[in-house]
Amino acid sequence: MAFLKLENVSVGYHKNEFVVKDLTLNVGRGEFVSLLGPSGCGKTTTLRAIAGFLRVQKGRIIINGKVYNNIPPNRRNIGFVFQNYALFPHLNVFENVAFGLKIRRFPKDVIKKKVSEVLEFVGLKGFEERLPSQLSGGQQQRVAIARAIVVKPDLLLMDEPLSNLDAKLRIEMRAELRRMQKELGITTVYVTHDQAEALSLSDRVAVMNRGRIEQFDTPENLFLNPKTLFVARFVGFQDFVEGEVVDVGVNLITVRVGDTTLRARSMNRSSLGMKVILVARPKNFEILESRGANSLKGEIVSRIFQGDNILYVVKVPNVGYLKVEIPVENAKWQEREAVFLKVDPENCLAFPKEE
Amino acid sequence: MARVYGKKYVLLLLPTLVFLGIFFLVPLLMVVIDSIYGSEGEGIFFNYFVFFKDHVSRTAYLRSIRIGLWVTGLSIIISYPTALAIASINNRTLKTVFMTLMVLPLMTNPVARTFAWLAVLGRYGLLNNFLLSTRIIEEPVRMLYTEGAVLIGLLQLFMPMMILSISSALENIPEDLSLAARSLGASGFQTFVRVTFPLSVEGLITGGTLVFTGSITAYVTPAILGGSRVLMLSTLLYQKAAVVLDWDMATTIAVMMFLTTLLINTGFRLIGKVGRR
Amino acid sequence: MSGKIFVYIMLAIAILFLIGPFIIIFAASFSESEVLSFPPKGFTLHWFKKVITMPMFIRSFETSLWLAVLASLLALLLGIPVAYVLARFDFPGKRFVEILTTLPVIIPQMVAGLALLRIFIIMGIFSIRTTLLIGHTAIVLPFAVRIISSSILNLPHSIEEAAISLGASRFRVFVNVVLPNITVGIISAFILTFITSFNNVPISLFLTGPGISTLPIVMMTYMEYYYDPSIAALATLLILITLGVVLVMQKLLGVSKMI
Repeated sequence: MAFLKLENVSVGYHKNEFVVKDLTLNVGRGEFVSLLGPSGCGKTTTLRAIAGFLRVQKGRIIINGKVYNNIPPNRRNIGFVFQNYALFPHLNVFENVAFGLKIRRFPKDVIKKKVSEVLEFVGLKGFEERLPSQLSGGQQQRVAIARAIVVKPDLLLMDEPLSNLDAKLRIEMRAELRRMQKELGITTVYVTHDQAEALSLSDRVAVMNRGRIEQFDTPENLFLNPKTLFVARFVGFQDFVEGEVVDVGVNLITVRVGDTTLRARSMNRSSLGMKVILVARPKNFEILESRGANSLKGEIVSRIFQGDNILYVVKVPNVGYLKVEIPVENAKWQEREAVFLKVDPENCLAFPKEE
Repeated sequence: MARVYGKKYVLLLLPTLVFLGIFFLVPLLMVVIDSIYGSEGEGIFFNYFVFFKDHVSRTAYLRSIRIGLWVTGLSIIISYPTALAIASINNRTLKTVFMTLMVLPLMTNPVARTFAWLAVLGRYGLLNNFLLSTRIIEEPVRMLYTEGAVLIGLLQLFMPMMILSISSALENIPEDLSLAARSLGASGFQTFVRVTFPLSVEGLITGGTLVFTGSITAYVTPAILGGSRVLMLSTLLYQKAAVVLDWDMATTIAVMMFLTTLLINTGFRLIGKVGRR
Repeated sequence: MSGKIFVYIMLAIAILFLIGPFIIIFAASFSESEVLSFPPKGFTLHWFKKVITMPMFIRSFETSLWLAVLASLLALLLGIPVAYVLARFDFPGKRFVEILTTLPVIIPQMVAGLALLRIFIIMGIFSIRTTLLIGHTAIVLPFAVRIISSSILNLPHSIEEAAISLGASRFRVFVNVVLPNITVGIISAFILTFITSFNNVPISLFLTGPGISTLPIVMMTYMEYYYDPSIAALATLLILITLGVVLVMQKLLGVSKMI
């Protein structure tokens, strides 16, 4: 049975205006789940509803079999890590971390022991006396985590905790977070807009859009087999062309694009005559001198050095500008060359065009 | 701010609402009602009729408005350049020193502040002594208990407010704007007229409202420097309420004072909105 | 460049105009002459001694003092909850509450004084002391609310939520998390309300009577009959105290916050 269950949850700030619509989510015990999506998709609202900072208008929130809808936030025993850490400015590190323990009336010596242990766990041994204003961003964040987990919450919620850190630190902290979560085994729900982060940290990811979950799956599946156009775009697929379905096969469909046809993998049921959008990753294109199977004609507009690979911007008539990434060793074409773009049908996905 | 658990926190407002409602709002309403109905039963709004008809009250009212306008105008003229000067000081500490000097008068007792003018404008005061000793005049000039004295006193009282209003408006103008104007070819004067000034109008409006309404409602300065010779709305009000015990007139004057300040407030705000177009 | 010189001259004139009177009072308070004069003649501390020993000044000073302290405390007691609710919550009628709490600033103080006189004193409901306290509290309440509100708004709401998620009740959050962080705001609110109440004339004017009066009122009455440097000495003392307090406030939060 799922440890955390959201059943048809709707949450809104004004009457009948829901930011989160009829959401259902099941998280297993000890699982690390991310809510991923652009700003405004409702992921933070969902998180805050689980925490109890927002009232749920419809549906139920069930944790470990118990319905939490009417339980006030301070009785839920849920750890929350905020984007801006929300450390108490007037308390030092020790007092910040001890806060929840004090409320739970643990004796002084027990508090001391637990705080020491958790500070060591997050790598901040010796920082007890410091004030939040004397800590770097990364250190503040670790204090925030320590404070949330020291009370052994049933659930740990994190609202974009890494987004205020610089790029290098973010990647280091990702590994740290993963290690900590695995060691503690706390069920965790993590909110982020960064797909790389979500995919690298989580057991499963829920991609959200406009208050609903578009796909809830493992990172690999999301990456390789996105179920909707939105998810595909979110995990890095680039719009390629539009066309009309002219043949439906077992695995692949054939799409008419202009005066040629391309084969692609259909992610949903396709019917003849349906309008579809084809998407593919910039890495999965090949540049050819002459027309091959599954290719379109184009002209190279820019050639941009990116280190390991070259980014080519190719103008395809009646389509637009497409980005193609070619490893440096193979990138011999120059600007203004006329070329053909080819993509393997397995790597080219087709989704119905939304009106 | 969404729906949070428990709306009972709004109850925290209750004591203050009750306090202000009963001890402030109700008495004010009763004053208004008193002024409208009067105590002699001559009909509603009769008191207002009397207010405008009676020479003394009419003069006091018009005088208050007149002096208020003068004070506002003069304070703008002196305060604006002063605020500009302060805004252009680059040294942080020096700027703070000047700002403190501006704020200080606002914190001191108005009685004390006005008192100093007695020493300056009195018959044997500083100004007269100076004029006598330099033979500009032969005999001491009476400067106290004139409209001029009240004007000067009010000016000193309210100028800091104007300076602070304009200063804070000027501080909010990004420095880059004038640099941008200069780079586009504008002279210092043009930059001021086309960029700095329009952006500071907000401060002028706020300051102007404060100074104008303050001048009309101030008591201490007109009382000390004007006495009964230069009756203003506030001194007249006190006279009618506490000395002559003419309650009808007193309440009417009070309501007129309030209505006038309300009008000024809304008027200035409208000017601000129109000017912004 | 002449523009620059012009504004600096105006600055000098303004400073002279605003500060000059203080210097005059200061100097005149040491004068030996029986009549207020400037420049002062001679040097004496006689006037200072006189004003701090005169019963009427002492009594009215005490009245002003307790009035200012009590009114400020009451204003804080009433104002802090209001500031918190206004800063953190949205509710129907919020606009009304905001207007009501700023009303004492919009209504001319003389009008308020008159109203209080009519209702409470003439109708004999409250004593003079009580009415004075009510009047002063009402006048300074909006300042307290404004300063504390802005203090609370400077504290991110997420800090309170963090405390809640750790198990603290709303009350506990307020006492252990909010209050410690708005202490500076509370102190500056107290100082501002204290000064405003102490210096107040319009309210006290209508409400003081035989036996009980505030210092500013007594000073005004004295000035009507006597023209000696006593008031100058008293004024100097008050100004020096105010100066000290303003400097403390400066240290605490900077000039801009006081507007």
